[in-house]
Amino acid sequence: MNLFTSSTLLTLLMLITPVMMSSTDFYKNNKYQHYVKNMTLLAFITSLVPMTMFIHTNQEMLISNWHWTTIHTLKLTLSFKMDYFSLMFMPVALFITWSIMEFSMWYMHSDPHINQFFKYLLIFLITMLILVTANNLFQLFIGWEGVGIMSFLLISWWFGRTDANTAALQAILYNRIGDIGFLLSMAWFLHNTNTWSLQQIFMLSQNPPTLPLLGLTLAAAGKSAQFGLHPWLPSAMEGPTPVSALLHSSTMVVAGIFLLIRFHPLTENNKLIQTMMLSLGALTTLFTAICALTQNDIKKIIAFSTSSQLGLMMTTLGLNQPHLTFLHICTHAFFKAMLFLCSGSIIHNLNNEQDIRKMGGLYKILPFTTTALIIGCFALTGMPFLTGFYSKDLIIETATSSYTNAWALLLTLTATSMTAIYSTRIIFFTLLEQPRFPPLMNINETDPMLINPIKRLLIGSIFAGFILSNSMPPMNTPLMTMPLHLKLTALTMTTLGFVLAFEINTYSKNLKYPYSSDSIKFSTLLGYFPTIMHRLSPHLVLTMSQKLATSLLDLTWMETALPKTTALIQLKASTLTSNQKGLIKLYFLSFLITMTLSMLLFNYPE
Amino acid sequence: MSLVHINILIAFAVSLTGLLMHRSHLMSALLCLEGMMLSLFILATLTILSTHFTLANMMPIILLVFAACEAAIGLALLVMVSNTYGTDYVQNLNLLQC
Repeated sequence: MNLFTSSTLLTLLMLITPVMMSSTDFYKNNKYQHYVKNMTLLAFITSLVPMTMFIHTNQEMLISNWHWTTIHTLKLTLSFKMDYFSLMFMPVALFITWSIMEFSMWYMHSDPHINQFFKYLLIFLITMLILVTANNLFQLFIGWEGVGIMSFLLISWWFGRTDANTAALQAILYNRIGDIGFLLSMAWFLHNTNTWSLQQIFMLSQNPPTLPLLGLTLAAAGKSAQFGLHPWLPSAMEGPTPVSALLHSSTMVVAGIFLLIRFHPLTENNKLIQTMMLSLGALTTLFTAICALTQNDIKKIIAFSTSSQLGLMMTTLGLNQPHLTFLHICTHAFFKAMLFLCSGSIIHNLNNEQDIRKMGGLYKILPFTTTALIIGCFALTGMPFLTGFYSKDLIIETATSSYTNAWALLLTLTATSMTAIYSTRIIFFTLLEQPRFPPLMNINETDPMLINPIKRLLIGSIFAGFILSNSMPPMNTPLMTMPLHLKLTALTMTTLGFVLAFEINTYSKNLKYPYSSDSIKFSTLLGYFPTIMHRLSPHLVLTMSQKLATSLLDLTWMETALPKTTALIQLKASTLTSNQKGLIKLYFLSFLITMTLSMLLFNYPE
Repeated sequence: MSLVHINILIAFAVSLTGLLMHRSHLMSALLCLEGMMLSLFILATLTILSTHFTLANMMPIILLVFAACEAAIGLALLVMVSNTYGTDYVQNLNLLQC
């Protein structure tokens, strides 16, 4: 038991050391990258110890270190919750980060600020682990904001580019909107359960009202790019490929889903929130899959694929299956990171060409990348007995055999076949056919710093699903019998998607695009969502504020209200009451009226 | 009072109203002034004759004399106004307007 605590804390402490070394001379030379990579590797190996102890004994642990403050009855400590989720996620995250750091030693080789890049990646990893192991909402929020800030710094790594700055700002803004929901639930929990620590929350609110869970869902929608708060994820591809691989495919974007998984004792009692998560996830997965069908940038297609899988995770949460969602998070991390690394290899080898219409024929030229890309795409679509199968097929099976919303199910199945379609698109355009790039390209994949990470993630993509699902104790009764057509649903939809996409790609590759079609415009312009939301609402707000400030305040309240009105009243009164206007008729009339009145009054005094 | 007196008094009141509420012509004011004088003369004569108030037999005739002079002055003024402005509209008398 002693080894459990110490190895967990050692993992976290080991990662902080390179950050603290950044003020020394060590930071200036080339060894720093190797140092960071090796530290991550050692942290991974150290984190395997608590993981295997947990698998062996199934004992969770709560480490409560340092009492920070007590404000009235609120006690805040530094506490780490080592349960199934955090203990399984830590090695996975560390493994993937190690591979990505080795890859970025090849990819960012010529960058002058490469040491700073590694430092940023490390700080990101630390904040992500703080988020994952947090036992109270305050510590989780520290990790939450930390990953948001590091995402901003890393997306705008090439900050000379306007698009990168806009994308980073977009990421921060959309995450902020999600933070509103997070703060709302924090406030609700503080007010009603008097604590921010997860154990007490779960004890005290067995049937919570919808409001805090709604706040948490909003936070997850912001961080995990659900529909309505999704545009930041494809824009975040402005960052370097290692950043996309680490943050926006495996680790950061699952933080929102992870938050909802942490709160599964609360969501399993609230049917409304489950339905909401189901619908939101189904809508996200279908919408982003539609957008992915017609993108031309390889990184954007993979980004939309990530968004679609996040929608699938949200759907699974809506089916009240948090452990299955977690399994999908871990398996998805492997093959998505590998897909990004392969795309990074292709981009770097083609001299920074990201448009798939200008790639082609890489099947014979880059055999290893081709292998990895094809296996990654198959794992993504849920090819039987690769990694994705163990989580994705189970999700579809659970969805088809549970008493749930049929519309959401239909959307999910359509999105599954679309996954196969855009995967075929990637494979077809980058790997097959004749080359479409300029002939003098220096293409090689002999550098071990490129090959080894992809190799490791490849082995992970093939075997990790099997290993992870065998180490997971069953949390609820699995469904043992179901009709054959339900069992084969996922496989059928995927095969349908593959066949359809391959057919269409093959016989239309030499035809002209009919660009006047409206449905292709819907897909290429991302459903018109960025166009409307990013231009219309700021325009309305700014116009309204301008009208308020100038017309209402300046012109009306300051000018017209007192000064001009007073002047006008004075003028009218003075013209009315001045005499000698020659109004003879008025004078005679007043004389008549006076006489009549006096006669009446004196004759009829009662 | 008897009906005759009421009748003449109503004539006087109507002329007074017409003097004070004339529309645009000064001539109508002068005419109404003459009407007032006439009704006053008739009223005085009828009352004095019916009450045999012999001592006041001269009053209506002297009243008539003064009314004639006053009418002459009024007409002279009207002619002066008409010479200056061409018409006798009352709204022309606005030299004192500020």
